Amino acid sequence: MTNQKLTGSADRPALLVGVLLLIVAAFVAYDASQQTITSNYGIGPTAMPYVVCVGLVLLGLAHFFVAFREGLPKPEPADRSALIWIVAGLIGLIACIALGGGFIVAITIVFACTARGFGRRALAVDALIGFVLGLVIFLVFAKLLTLLLPVGPLEHLFL
Amino acid sequence: METTLALMHGFSVALEPSKLLFCLVGVFLGTAVGVLPGIGPALTVALLLPVTFKLDPAGSMIMFAGIYYGGMYGGSTTAILLNAPGESASLATALEGSKMAKAGRGGPALSTAAIGSFVAGTIATFGLAFLAPWLVEIAVKFGPWDYFALMIVAFVTVSATFGDSPLRGLTSLFIGITLGLIGIDKLTGQARLTFGVPDLLNGVEVTTLAVGLFAVGEALYVASRRAHAPEEIIPIKGSLWMTKQDWKRSWAPWLRGTAFGFPIGALPAGGAEVPTFLSYSTERRLCKYPDEFGKGAIEGVAGPEAANNASAAGTLVPLLTLGLPTSATAAIMLAGFQQYGLNPGPLLFAEKPDLVWGLIASLFIANVMLVIINLPLIGIWVRLLAIPQPWLYAGILVFATMGTLAVNASPVELSMLFVFGYLGYLMRRYDYPVAPMVVGLILGPMAEAQLRRALQISLGDPMILLENPISATLLGLAFIALVAPFVMKGLNRFKAAED
Amino acid sequence: MLTSILKRTALTAVALAALSTAAFAQLELKIMAPASPGGGWDGTARSMQQALMASGIAKSVQVVNVTGAGGTIGLAQLINGAKGDGSQLMVNGFVMVGAILLNKSPVNLSQTTPIARLTAEAEVIVVPTDSPIKTAKDLADRVKADPAKVTWAGGSAGGTDHILAALFADAVGADAKKINYIPFSGGGEALAAMLGGRVTAGISGYGEFEGQIKAGKLRVIGVSSSKRLANAPDAPTLKEQGINLELLNWRSVVAPPGLSAQQRKTLSDAVEKLTKTKEWAEILKARGWDDAYLGGAEFEAFQKAEEARVSKVMHDVGLVK
Repeated sequence: MTNQKLTGSADRPALLVGVLLLIVAAFVAYDASQQTITSNYGIGPTAMPYVVCVGLVLLGLAHFFVAFREGLPKPEPADRSALIWIVAGLIGLIACIALGGGFIVAITIVFACTARGFGRRALAVDALIGFVLGLVIFLVFAKLLTLLLPVGPLEHLFL
Repeated sequence: METTLALMHGFSVALEPSKLLFCLVGVFLGTAVGVLPGIGPALTVALLLPVTFKLDPAGSMIMFAGIYYGGMYGGSTTAILLNAPGESASLATALEGSKMAKAGRGGPALSTAAIGSFVAGTIATFGLAFLAPWLVEIAVKFGPWDYFALMIVAFVTVSATFGDSPLRGLTSLFIGITLGLIGIDKLTGQARLTFGVPDLLNGVEVTTLAVGLFAVGEALYVASRRAHAPEEIIPIKGSLWMTKQDWKRSWAPWLRGTAFGFPIGALPAGGAEVPTFLSYSTERRLCKYPDEFGKGAIEGVAGPEAANNASAAGTLVPLLTLGLPTSATAAIMLAGFQQYGLNPGPLLFAEKPDLVWGLIASLFIANVMLVIINLPLIGIWVRLLAIPQPWLYAGILVFATMGTLAVNASPVELSMLFVFGYLGYLMRRYDYPVAPMVVGLILGPMAEAQLRRALQISLGDPMILLENPISATLLGLAFIALVAPFVMKGLNRFKAAED
Repeated sequence: MLTSILKRTALTAVALAALSTAAFAQLELKIMAPASPGGGWDGTARSMQQALMASGIAKSVQVVNVTGAGGTIGLAQLINGAKGDGSQLMVNGFVMVGAILLNKSPVNLSQTTPIARLTAEAEVIVVPTDSPIKTAKDLADRVKADPAKVTWAGGSAGGTDHILAALFADAVGADAKKINYIPFSGGGEALAAMLGGRVTAGISGYGEFEGQIKAGKLRVIGVSSSKRLANAPDAPTLKEQGINLELLNWRSVVAPPGLSAQQRKTLSDAVEKLTKTKEWAEILKARGWDDAYLGGAEFEAFQKAEEARVSKVMHDVGLVK
């Protein structure tokens, strides 16, 4: 039944997954081979990685096999701009935390960008909502739970 | 009889107005905090420990118990509504619960979770009161080999239920196990797969992976399909409460979930995850409507949620009878006991009966309070889903990052959250199930550590797994579960050929 | 409904905080707990916060948690990120000494400004009551005869418990490299392994085993302190049984590098004052911690000596190569 597909070209996503699995397996095996310290008794820290590695290799090969058969399910086209907005928001958040911009600004970025990704066209309003949300969460955590979320210049005003 | 009398006395302590108030405050705080992903009951109790320093011992312990039960319950709310399992024990609940919520059945899902928690919590608390001394004798007999066998049972039964493609399910599971290797090896202290990044030494947090794959991945997936196949979220369809049919489908899973949760929770290394997984796969197998699994079957919420709560009561068995803290929360509660110079253990029952039985009685009361508080809240929770989609998903992402930021605000941890999120998106696109990955991350390291401990004790002799009756039986069960489907298939074919 | 309760609680909390803070202090401090909230170092940091503010030594104290890798991530942050900051403290302790070696941390304790040792807890070696092992000598004989057959249960690899097991083997003349030490996650699991008779001996802080010892389920083979413990006068020390071994699981505070003499003195004075307050005494009593205050140059020397000792043990056991 699947034989007629053999004539066509291989399923690229399945091939790619297969290759990635083999690469991960190689990493795991390399890392295990670098371990210098083992247990005196029983099995050491490298046994499990090698077992996992074998499993990954088998799964990788199985993906190659599948690639020449039915392949992976065909996905529907994706809305790129939506994805870009959300991913940009998340990267903005990491950057904001890494550069010391603080929690409130970070949350503002994520909220506004995600809402934009989901099709809203009111960036300023959404940013305001995100800001208020971030501020409230920050204050609840700091005052009630005595847990300090990342502090930036803005947060210093409220401490 | 003696126990009954002691319990009655306990109620007379716990029903004092001031104790009731402590219990109420605890239940409220627990629910509120349990709703936040990443901030579990353990953290709440730890943060409140200094605050309660000046309260009387019984009162503050009762409050902690309320927080504990409340937190266990609160975790299910976000898992069901936002598909963001804030703790590993809510993972199984999220699978079916979030599907139900999107189809307008969030009300029944939350109700069956609340009532199931109540039923399981009550039965398990009875178990705690009457069976504890006996159960604990068995619990300490569990050796590393027995735990390893238990993990294998969980592995086998769970992997048999995920997804329609064994290849994609296994791939997901193995990636999870690989992620579980990252970090410091528990038995030798060596770093594995960290590639010199210090942030990776602690390994991959289960909540980071679960929230990334589930909540962030889903947000990306829904956004990417918005133009072609917009997702429809129906806040309420049909009754907000459980129908007669729902009740009929829920009661047996509640009881079975309790039967998994309480004894496994009472094991020193049992935990809450294994029973929830076992309950989920059992319900999936026994369900009369197998087609509904994966689309929102109420059994898949009722069972694991009951198992989760029953295991919470289970962990109190070794805590109260032996002073053995077997979960993070129990460890902190132990610290709470000690701050009043009390040492839980065999002597505590004799020395401080008021406190112990008051605590046990207040667990019953906490359960009742939880149901009373949570059932009316369901109507409000479900309306959260009526928030316009852009704000709803933006809120979910804020929620997801907040949990990570509160516990470990490092850019590396955040990056992991989003890489897992993107991975979750890709996996959804190509129809890989995401849950096995989290299962692999949870069970993989546990199974490895227990196997290695077992072999260290036996000085490398693998026969230790088969020489002990409990592990041998469990491994036998796992083997049957593994081959049974093939044998059944073969038999059916054989029968068909005969016809 | 929920939010209104939260608000009310917040108001109460603010009011309480205002009441308890005395007006005169000017000192503003940040204490880093290089672990997740809820752990031992976090507990120490928050207890310090509580006592510093309640006694009026400091005007405000913030606790910041930096999670990861036995505290070495927090240590790196203190050394690289807070250089010269005279308002920053970090809680650490014996466990960090081992973690630095184990995790091949690029920074170490000698780069910090030592302030003081605060508390210490003795370790205890126990066996199940029905074990034929009665004294430290019995245990020593077995370890000498065949170290593989003596299984030790305790906390994480390279932690205090592990180091004590290695030191014990070393002190009785057995090969420390050959000890069969099984790390368990958390004291509860190790305790269960003991009670179930799965292992020969167990090691932990005394507090963790106290209940079972008093209930007669575990027998103390030896305490790792120099003198018998006040709350367990019947438990013999290892020293009095002829095993020359002393080990304390201590906790301390350090400050960032690059402080001026004045800055260092301010912090040291504040911490010393803290340890003399009745609030601190109350906390120590409630938590079961022993006061082990050691300040200034003495602490610096002590820390160096411990570093050398741990480094030797870790190499002996083969945890570090």
